[in-house]
Amino acid sequence: MITTIALIACGVTAACAVWRLVVGPTLAGRIAALDVALISLMGAIAIHAAETDERAWLDLLVVIAIIGFTATVAVSRFVEHEAESS
Amino acid sequence: MSLLPGIIILIGAALNVIAGIGLVRFESPYARFHAAGKASPVAFLVIALGAGLEMGGTAALHLAVAAVGLVLTLPVGVHLLFRAVHRTTPGDHLRVDDLRDAEAKRFG
Repeated sequence: MITTIALIACGVTAACAVWRLVVGPTLAGRIAALDVALISLMGAIAIHAAETDERAWLDLLVVIAIIGFTATVAVSRFVEHEAESS
Repeated sequence: MSLLPGIIILIGAALNVIAGIGLVRFESPYARFHAAGKASPVAFLVIALGAGLEMGGTAALHLAVAAVGLVLTLPVGVHLLFRAVHRTTPGDHLRVDDLRDAEAKRFG
């Protein structure tokens, strides 16, 4: 029961992030929304792994953390160049 | 799912919702980056603590590695976003902007 509430909370966070992704005026705000969505996904994976006691899921967390960081760094370069082109 | 880890996980999930609400409600991009760059890693830290208590030895190690990896890298990424936005937008979000004078002096 506790974990379902926690998973629903992570879902609400992801919904907020998707809303900011859709509405968000600036490109950088959208990237921050992707970050929040990725981290709520990581939280949901950790909660699910804690509930069902499956060790296989935990390696995924490290991968998502590093990929989220790399994506943010890569796209923040586009934010700088976007202003010059437009 | 014993009680104490469950409560810690609930607190982490609540922090996560606060980060999401912060992302939605804040006006200027700089404020939204605080929600994305600081509130959500802390939320994941608390969730990882609860899950680590629940699952025991090696799994807690996996979670610790993921949590340290996230906390070390994500603020750097969001800081780059800060810098990118700061350099491109004219800066109407900020009332006091000391960096702009320093940048103007340095870049000329």
